[in-house]
Amino acid sequence: MQVIILFTVLVSTYLMVIAKRTPALIRSFRYQSFCLFLATLILALREHQLDLYVVSGLLFILKVVFIPQLLYRTIKKIKASEELGLFINPQLSLLWALGFTYLSWVFSAHLIGQGNEIRVIMLAVAFFVVLAGIFLMIFRMTALAQIIGLLVMENGIFLLASMVSGGMPFFVEIAIFFDVFVSVLIMGFFVYRINKFFTHIDVNKLSRLKG
Amino acid sequence: MQIFFILGIPILLAVTCLLIRRQRFLGILNCVGYLVVLFLSVILLKQIALSGSTRSFLGFICLDALSVFFIFVIAVVVFASALYSVGYIKKDIEKGIISQKKASTYYLLFNLFCCSMFFVPAMNNLGMLWVAIEMTTLISAFLVGFYNKKESVEAAWKYIIICSVGIIFALLGTILFSYAFSISGLSKSLNWSDMVGVAQILDKNILKIAFIFILVGYGTKAGLAPMHTWLPDAHSQAVAPISALLSGVLLKTAIYAILRFGIIIIKSVGFAYFAHLMILLGVISLVISSGFILVQKDLKRLLAYSSIEHIGIIAIGFGLGTPLACAGALLHVFNHAVTKSLMFFGAGNIVSFYRKHNMNAIRGVSKALPFTGMMMFLGVFALTGFPPFSIFISEMMIIIAAFTKSSYLIAAILLLFLAIIFGAFINHFGKMLFGSIPKGMTKTGEPLTGKFAFLFLGLLICITGVAFVFIKGEWIWVVQKLFLI
Repeated sequence: MQVIILFTVLVSTYLMVIAKRTPALIRSFRYQSFCLFLATLILALREHQLDLYVVSGLLFILKVVFIPQLLYRTIKKIKASEELGLFINPQLSLLWALGFTYLSWVFSAHLIGQGNEIRVIMLAVAFFVVLAGIFLMIFRMTALAQIIGLLVMENGIFLLASMVSGGMPFFVEIAIFFDVFVSVLIMGFFVYRINKFFTHIDVNKLSRLKG
Repeated sequence: MQIFFILGIPILLAVTCLLIRRQRFLGILNCVGYLVVLFLSVILLKQIALSGSTRSFLGFICLDALSVFFIFVIAVVVFASALYSVGYIKKDIEKGIISQKKASTYYLLFNLFCCSMFFVPAMNNLGMLWVAIEMTTLISAFLVGFYNKKESVEAAWKYIIICSVGIIFALLGTILFSYAFSISGLSKSLNWSDMVGVAQILDKNILKIAFIFILVGYGTKAGLAPMHTWLPDAHSQAVAPISALLSGVLLKTAIYAILRFGIIIIKSVGFAYFAHLMILLGVISLVISSGFILVQKDLKRLLAYSSIEHIGIIAIGFGLGTPLACAGALLHVFNHAVTKSLMFFGAGNIVSFYRKHNMNAIRGVSKALPFTGMMMFLGVFALTGFPPFSIFISEMMIIIAAFTKSSYLIAAILLLFLAIIFGAFINHFGKMLFGSIPKGMTKTGEPLTGKFAFLFLGLLICITGVAFVFIKGEWIWVVQKLFLI
């Protein structure tokens, strides 16, 4: 079961890397978050811990329902082009993603060593998701894509944390959720501002400050 | 007990900003509030740092000499900044740059920002430390984009994105630390005090990798080159009192986080690993910033690059790692915070008078704004490490430590680039401070509270260096105890 979920996370991340338009990116992000929600829920059912139920519930509300909805609404409201503005075309992005997968596999195998295979897979997927998030942030031009890249990185970290002996201490987990929530709100606010002042959300063209 | 007041007063002040809308009253209330915080932090410093004890409350607040020292530094700069804000915001309202309503928003954000910064050194739990640092970014982003111009929105966006990515790496590092802790067979915990006790038995390979993530992550926030790219933009676009806070203490809170993890690394992996990384990043920061300082045209960006330089010096100081060097680096944290705040206040007055950032258009400051001109004159020499000011003492300690440790190359690099930066600063400021006022501008008065802020900081700059000679012994003893060297 765990392996299947990890595989779905992997697939949804690949979908994100090759996405050309913002709505597709958001949809894949929703899939990925849903997988994380499932993984946490299964863990909660197995271990019967109230903490984990709360965490999975928050994950569902925040990352599966609220944030994607907010991002969809932002696209509609600012009426910007739905194109992501690719620096690297989808085919080449796919190659990059394959490279990342291999890299994170080697890295996690090195970190954990022999023995626990499922742990190595979990760690590899988590690192891959983080790397894919960085990739999205660097090689996509719109401000919205950068927000999603950041959220993808955050998802990767969440996966990593849940691998590490079932997550972080409860109140830290809650604080981090709160933090993600606030940061998305604030970034969304600044996307509106950028759109208002520059009439586009192409971050590549924000180049007034230099030197 | 004092710590709860230190954390609580900013929150209370923030709530007051929601209830009361008269900005003049709010400004003065802020000054009083932060004066109290400053007194409390001095009491804490006396109680905890000098006795060398640690005190913890409820498990997740833990105070030792390092954290009370950083709380004290934050309190000093925040108090000065609150004083300066009163006059600065009033002037902005008179000029019609911001409205009355926006002024009270400013005070609200100011208090929240200060509150989040006070939380950073108080946290024992490394996860909560991360949350507190991320909170400082999120709140100050509004203060960077406060003036709602194209440039400031751009700066705020770069700031929030680059720092958030950086800080995610720091979270990754934190999780790897907790992973190392959990596979060593101990119970789940992210508390620093638990980790440092068992540092020797943690898995060294994982800690090494984790520390790289920590250094990249918090290093981004601290403005260590090459992750510094957000810093000049944010510092040059923020409101002047906030620039002082960003440069004076926000960067230092990130340094604090690096030190917390660094202490675990020193105990577990050994000192050399920590030292090499810190010195490498410190030297890169020093070299890169000196280049930008030489050719800089924008006044506030010049000061921002100078912050990168000083963060580099601090990193080198901790990297050298002898008691003298660490003592110097910690002292430099304070000295730089005080001096750079004074410079940013001065720059704020200059920019609001000339309405320009470009240094080529700014001439005759000492005639147009006599008081600011005089304090800036003092500040430039203090900032570039001229005796007898405080920065001279701390830089000297670091350089002497480098020589006595026979790290001649590092000492040579430090001296060379400090000399270059000294020349560049004297050149830039000589042109600005002297000369004749541009036509059509006349001499103006300056607000009284702003003058108080200048005098407060100026006094600290002048006396710290001299006073330090008397407490040098205790200081080094405390530092030795902290870093176990």
